[in-house]
Amino acid sequence: MNNTLLELKNISYKYKNNLILNKVNLKINSGEKIALLGKSGSGKTTLMSILNGTIKPTQGEVKLFNKSFGELDRKHKSKITTIWQDLRLIEDLSAEQNVNCGLLAENNFYFAFKNLLNISSFKKAHKYMQLCGLHNSVYDKKIRKLSGGQKQRVAIARSLIQESNILLADEPFNNLDPKLIATIKNLLLENVDKNNTKKSPKTALVALHRLDLLNDFDKVIGIRDGKIFFNLKTNNLKKLHLNKIY
Amino acid sequence: MNKLKLSYTSLSFLPILVCIPLGYQLINNIHFGGFKLFQEFLISAFNPKIDNEIIIIVINRLNETILIGFFSWLISIILGAIFGIISSNIFYKIFNIPNFFYRIIRFFLTIIRSIHEVVWGIVLMQIYGINFSIGIIAICIPYIAVNSKVFAEQLETIDSKSFESINQINAPKFSSLLTIIWNPIINTFKNFGLYRLECSIRSTVILGLFGIGGIGTSIFLSFQTLNFRELWTYLWSLAILIILSRLIFKKIKFNTTNKILSIFFIAVFFITILFSFSYFLYFIFNNNFENFNSLSYLFKSSSDLGLFDFLKLILETIIISLLSTGIAISFPPLVIGIFNNNTCKIFIKIFAFLLRLIPTPVILLILLTFNNPSLSLAALTLGLHNAGITNKLLFANLESQDRRNYIAMKSLGISKKTSWLLGLFSQQAKSYLAYCAYRSDIIIRETAIVGVIGSVGLGWQLQESLSSFAWQEVTLVLIAYSSIAIVGELINGKIKNSLT
Repeated sequence: MNNTLLELKNISYKYKNNLILNKVNLKINSGEKIALLGKSGSGKTTLMSILNGTIKPTQGEVKLFNKSFGELDRKHKSKITTIWQDLRLIEDLSAEQNVNCGLLAENNFYFAFKNLLNISSFKKAHKYMQLCGLHNSVYDKKIRKLSGGQKQRVAIARSLIQESNILLADEPFNNLDPKLIATIKNLLLENVDKNNTKKSPKTALVALHRLDLLNDFDKVIGIRDGKIFFNLKTNNLKKLHLNKIY
Repeated sequence: MNKLKLSYTSLSFLPILVCIPLGYQLINNIHFGGFKLFQEFLISAFNPKIDNEIIIIVINRLNETILIGFFSWLISIILGAIFGIISSNIFYKIFNIPNFFYRIIRFFLTIIRSIHEVVWGIVLMQIYGINFSIGIIAICIPYIAVNSKVFAEQLETIDSKSFESINQINAPKFSSLLTIIWNPIINTFKNFGLYRLECSIRSTVILGLFGIGGIGTSIFLSFQTLNFRELWTYLWSLAILIILSRLIFKKIKFNTTNKILSIFFIAVFFITILFSFSYFLYFIFNNNFENFNSLSYLFKSSSDLGLFDFLKLILETIIISLLSTGIAISFPPLVIGIFNNNTCKIFIKIFAFLLRLIPTPVILLILLTFNNPSLSLAALTLGLHNAGITNKLLFANLESQDRRNYIAMKSLGISKKTSWLLGLFSQQAKSYLAYCAYRSDIIIRETAIVGVIGSVGLGWQLQESLSSFAWQEVTLVLIAYSSIAIVGELINGKIKNSLT
């Protein structure tokens, strides 16, 4: 049975005459936990942006659930969630309001209104914030008043609350201390494991620099100068492979 | 030979050169017949009429002014926010609408904004007759467009990455839009909304001078009967209203986390939209266009205005704008720089406050008591009024500025004036010039007011054409006004961009 969730076919992306991605082919199967390795500027963020539909490739095709991205409706598209490297939180909103933004897709306009006016109790947001180590005192604080680590956790909570099938995370462990890295890593990847029992298992593609975290992933993809250099099981990864991309 | 280098500081003083042609014409036009009247006007400032009868009139007239000002503000700020949203890039990005529509709406709003509320008022009064609601409509039309520009500019500052992240959640479009624009809209309202209420009250006063009602009408009538004591009673009561409103505004804090207050604001928002829409329908279907029965009048009416005369009027309007802008830019730093001590500063502040307080047409009428109507007099009036405004801004910026350079220079034995110029003003000159560029947009629009009273430029022609129901001429004048204002706005926009 074909269990491919996301597929990139011959994807290229050009920005101001610079070729950022060059004929990338990639298949992500359901339930896979994949680590994406590469130097800064190698094209990891662009690849993530193409996978979640934020930018359109100059050439090639992106398929989600075996359908071209353009053919998908809003509900299907919302099955991908992203933790951005630069977090992309709304600075003027509170931590709780930002986390609630993750629920906008499954709720109506009235929910957005309630969220902005703070006229409801948002238990689900509180649950996910607590899971990410954010406590009551942070809920009402504006993003700009939070520390780097707190912001990072708000972004992670916003992403997790979506309970999506596919998680794309671009260096999610930045700004976190070692203890929190372990917590967040388990949270991101456990979430995937738990849902393996469901019909559409959760899948994760995580861009990272820390090689000591690789053991938690099934596969490792190495990218350099917009090209995929290797795509193999974590057990098969050798120093030689890493030398190619770093 | 050394090349002349112009710094921002010298550019702030250079426009004072406009005083050479201005002064020459003003001295030539001076007449001594009205000096006594002018003297009487000044003395009456210290001896306003106060009795029961006038206090009742003042209360009634202020009530009317506040009502017109408040309703026009409420409608224009809310509709301004809505138009601001639909004329901002973010709206089109979220709904995937082609940018073509965005350009059309922006252009349409630019045209509406380019015509001063007094012009709208005069035209509407001529079509519809004098009416309380005409005041509200006349203010609302350009104010909606002005407010929409401010809101749109704030929405353009939204970080495109936050937009992408909300967009990527794939929420319903309206939810995404609301979430992303909420804070910029609320912040703009907090920072800008109450200032616009003050502007709205000032505009109501000016429209009152043209017969709309409120305290402006009383000011004009008392001036016509040369009853200066009564005139000052109205002016001082207006001053008290403005000072009081500022004090109240300082106390008001919009707290969007207060649930009851938030619900109240939302209720006001929707009621205002509903009210405006119903009133608009009522106005369209139940009006009695006394002097303007159909658009066909526009084509039937003939025009006696020759091309040469018309171009002359356009040139006059441009010259008034340039001369007034020159005065508004150069007077405040020059006066503050020369009279740089604490006592003088108080007098300068009071004088500037009076220049802002007294409506431009009244300043012009006062100056007309000892000077013949001329282009220079109109420019001087407009320039002085706006210098009152730029002076306030300059004072506020100078007072909040770090004074260490100034103190250091003085400790080196440099004179107080030079230290002020190089240690304080030079650091403010750039932002001051940027604000003056914005101010000159307003000056161009305000030439209409002085034109009507001072018999110069397109403003005067507009009044003449309206009096004779020459609709074709009126249309031509409005197009010319709008074109000058739009070109001026484009040029000033370039200047502002280069300064910020």
